[in-house]
Amino acid sequence: MKMITIKKNEWAGGLEKAAQAFRLFGPVKEKEFHSFKRLQTGVLPDLTCLNTRLSPKHLIYPQSEVMFDYTLDESKADHHILKETARDDSPQAVVGIRPCDAKAFVLVRMNFDTPEYQDPYWIRAYESTTLVGLGCAAPCSSCFCTTAGCGPYHEEGLDVLLADAGDHYLAKVLTEKGATFVAAAGWRTAAEPQAADQKIAALKQASESKIASFVQTDNLRAAETTDLHNAAFWEEVSFACINCGTCTFSCPTCWCFDIQDENRGKTGVRMKNWDSCMYPLFTLHGTGHNPRGSKLHRVRQRFMHKLKYFVDKYDRGIQCVGCGRCVRLCPVNIDIRRVCNMMNGFAASGEACAIK
Amino acid sequence: MEHMGIEPGRLQFSWISSAESTKFVEVVTQVTAAIKALGPHSNFAKKMAEVA
Amino acid sequence: MLSYTEKIREIAGRLLQSGAVEMVIGFRAGTVPMMNEPHFAKTPADVQKLVWDSHCGINLANYLTDRKEKIGVVAKGCDSRNIVTHIIENKIKREQLVIIGVPCKGMVDKRKIAMKAEAEITEVIEAETTITVKGHGFSKTFEKKDVLQHNCALCIHRNPVIHDEIVGAPVEEQQGVDRYADVRSLEAMTPEQRWKYFDDLLTPCIRCYACRNACPLCYCPTCFVDEARPQWVGKSQDPGDVRTFHFLRAYHCAGRCTDCGACERACPVGINMRTFTKKLEKDCLDLFGWEAGLDPEVRPPLDVYRPQDPNDFIK
Repeated sequence: MKMITIKKNEWAGGLEKAAQAFRLFGPVKEKEFHSFKRLQTGVLPDLTCLNTRLSPKHLIYPQSEVMFDYTLDESKADHHILKETARDDSPQAVVGIRPCDAKAFVLVRMNFDTPEYQDPYWIRAYESTTLVGLGCAAPCSSCFCTTAGCGPYHEEGLDVLLADAGDHYLAKVLTEKGATFVAAAGWRTAAEPQAADQKIAALKQASESKIASFVQTDNLRAAETTDLHNAAFWEEVSFACINCGTCTFSCPTCWCFDIQDENRGKTGVRMKNWDSCMYPLFTLHGTGHNPRGSKLHRVRQRFMHKLKYFVDKYDRGIQCVGCGRCVRLCPVNIDIRRVCNMMNGFAASGEACAIK
Repeated sequence: MEHMGIEPGRLQFSWISSAESTKFVEVVTQVTAAIKALGPHSNFAKKMAEVA
Repeated sequence: MLSYTEKIREIAGRLLQSGAVEMVIGFRAGTVPMMNEPHFAKTPADVQKLVWDSHCGINLANYLTDRKEKIGVVAKGCDSRNIVTHIIENKIKREQLVIIGVPCKGMVDKRKIAMKAEAEITEVIEAETTITVKGHGFSKTFEKKDVLQHNCALCIHRNPVIHDEIVGAPVEEQQGVDRYADVRSLEAMTPEQRWKYFDDLLTPCIRCYACRNACPLCYCPTCFVDEARPQWVGKSQDPGDVRTFHFLRAYHCAGRCTDCGACERACPVGINMRTFTKKLEKDCLDLFGWEAGLDPEVRPPLDVYRPQDPNDFIK
């Protein structure tokens, strides 16, 4: 684990050098909020951003992605053959990603990279990406990362962890990819390891003590799935939901997609688009039957998936990193923290607890 | 449609009964000429999905 | 307005106890600043959770569609007009409803306030005419009338047009409001400028459909964007498809939209899609003298043929 000191006046120059070997992405302010965008020459990532409105998952997993193209024109030699569409998998680096979003990629990878199935699109994009994370000095009031399996200085999923130490950054190089990036940027000044470790530990502690929001998850694993599924509180929880895709699209750990073909005349593409379990058509069968035809079914499914099924299947905690985006963006203020605590409390008492 | 930025004259309406074949021919000829005079509209013509 | 909470609870409790309704739909306090959650009350404990303040912008008429029970519903001016439209369109029966009318001076725009705040807002305190937001190291007070939602600033139907109960005295309707200044400024642009304007407007759209789903008028069993056989509109983020979704949805709301602003409030990326519906609203007013949702006995002009309907655009 190498420790590097990056003086703040070396920052811009380093990124410029790195840009010769990597496509750089970082948080950029646009009108009301920040988004992760490609950094044009001379543009620096805005590290004052608390976190971006939407998660950076689109950098590895675009919302709309063309996979194949084809022609139906029988005069062409390759007609009716699906051809893989050219894509750019050259090295890319995301500078200024928060630890929660990086941990989210680790959770999503558990789904897209398994012994039985690998999603080549996601994996190729992920493997060509270097995540240069920035520890959070000022967590938002809706951040609950510390009880959701990560934290403001959490290292899982990151290739480099940056800590803002005033007039310089401390860069903890965590992986080979991270080392390559740091070398490309020309940041070579080693930091004294022990002192750097202590400094980062102190910053981490200070940030963690600012976290004001928590979820309880200790009873979820042991809970009886069917009891939770049949709990009485789902009616109340799901009432306000308008079944839009805001929570799923802003969530860094949501991964569902839909594949379809779009034709124009004799040519076409096969593409995948983000899909949302909140949409009524998500589970519509070819027969016309829809097992999750009601709002209650769908809302319950989302929370059960994130807070129970995932917990049971992978035993790595909940499918949530506590970034708080769904909480802040839900148009009707459905709060996963409230639901998680209700589910956890229900599991403990074995009966419908007082609905808070 | 004009409000959205499509040039005036691209969208036209006419009542034509199936018994008014002469009117149909006239209107089709007129509208075709008018649209051709406006030139090809590229903004709203989707070729292939413009996505990643 | 601050006394409305008590009045709503009193009315809701009374209605539930007497059996006049099986549930009362209102709001409960939100878990994040400047938000409230739509909530149904069936028991006295539920009733105590009902609140009212200037963050009740979501349109509760959205939750009435196709319900079969007897329902009490809290409705401000715009919501009440959507209830009228629901009645006209057979989505709910008048007899099922006990409408708890709320004379409204406008909802505040949380985005406007957030932009003016120096840092993350963690606390909101509302007074009769002002609203104070606090965060780490700052506190800022605004006059509510300066930070209203766009639609509320232009509202000319603040009092419910239909109600069975009322929580306060009627408020003065705004006079001399120019509802269509923004529409006219667009009409003054060239087609290329307008195309670019809408392009820029819709760039952040993520096709989440929060706008459509928050809208009480959007209740089609299968929305046109979800049709697959044939597929009318692509599901990707292709700019043409995104634009088609928005303007075609606006068309479906023509003559029915009450400008409640729920669509803009719901949008997670802050798109002002009322830019589409305002034009159609203006056209309905100019061409048919029509304002949506004012009278449950009158059928809308797009429903009914009158010989004097304008048709000079048809050759």
